Amino acid sequence: MESLTVPGNLDSLSAIAQYVMAAADAAGLDKKASYKLRLAVDEVTTNIIIHGYEENHLQGDVYMMADLDDSSLTITVEDTATAFDPFPKLSLEEEKIGLPMEQRPIGGLGVYLAIQGVDKFFYERVGDRNRNTFVVKRTTANAQ
Amino acid sequence: MALDVTLETKTSASNVKIGIITLSGDLDASTAPTFKTEVEKAANEGAKRLVLKLSGLNYMASAGLRVLIFSKQKMGTDVDIYVVAPQEGVLDTLEKTGFIQGVILLEKDEPEKYEQ
Repeated sequence: MESLTVPGNLDSLSAIAQYVMAAADAAGLDKKASYKLRLAVDEVTTNIIIHGYEENHLQGDVYMMADLDDSSLTITVEDTATAFDPFPKLSLEEEKIGLPMEQRPIGGLGVYLAIQGVDKFFYERVGDRNRNTFVVKRTTANAQ
Repeated sequence: MALDVTLETKTSASNVKIGIITLSGDLDASTAPTFKTEVEKAANEGAKRLVLKLSGLNYMASAGLRVLIFSKQKMGTDVDIYVVAPQEGVLDTLEKTGFIQGVILLEKDEPEKYEQ
C-alpha cells in the first residue's frame, strides 16, 4: 500500500484512522480485529502527537506505512520527536486497571490498549526517528 | 469522521437531576473535548446522574475513558454513570480497562431504569 505522511497534530487522527481501516480492509481482517488495530494505532499516534510533539513544542510529521503479505498485515508508524519507548509506561498503566475509577489519575491507558489490540507490537529508535510497529496475523483474524 | 454530542437534562421521579448525553460518530483525542464540554455543562446544571447513550458511537479511544474519570471528579464520586447500548468495540474497551465496574451498563435503552 502507499504510505501516508500527515502533520503531527490531532486533526490528523481521522486521516490516520482511515488509512488503518483501508489497510485492514485490504488484509481482509474481520470487524473486531480491524477495530482493535485502529485503536492500537490511534492510541500510539495520539501519544506521539501530544507527548512527543506538542508538549515539547516540536513540529513534525507522522509517517505511516502498511505492508501486506500472505500471513500478516504490518503497520509502521514513525515520527521525529524525542525518543519515546512505550514499554516502561505499560507496567504503570497495568497497575491502574485494578483501581476504582475515582482513584485513577487522568492518565491514559493507551499503551495497554495498543499492546492488547495486536498480535505483535514493538518499538525501535532508528536514527532520529521513533518507529512503532504493529503486526496482525491474517490467518487468525477470524478467530476470537 | 466526527463526533456528535447532545445534552438533555431532566429531573427524575425521585427529584434527581439527570444529564443525558447522546454520542454518535468517533470519539478520539481530537473530538473528546466536545464530549468533555457537555459533561461540564451537565455538572454545572447540577446533574447527579449521568446517562451516556452510545448506540451511535462507532469508536472510542482512551481519551473517552479520561472524560469518564473527569465526570466522577466533576460531579462527585457518588455520581451514577449509566452506559446505554454500547457497540461491541466500545464495550470491549470498557471491560478490558476495568471501567465497566465503575458504571451501570444497560444493554438497551430503558429510561425507567435511570429516570426513577
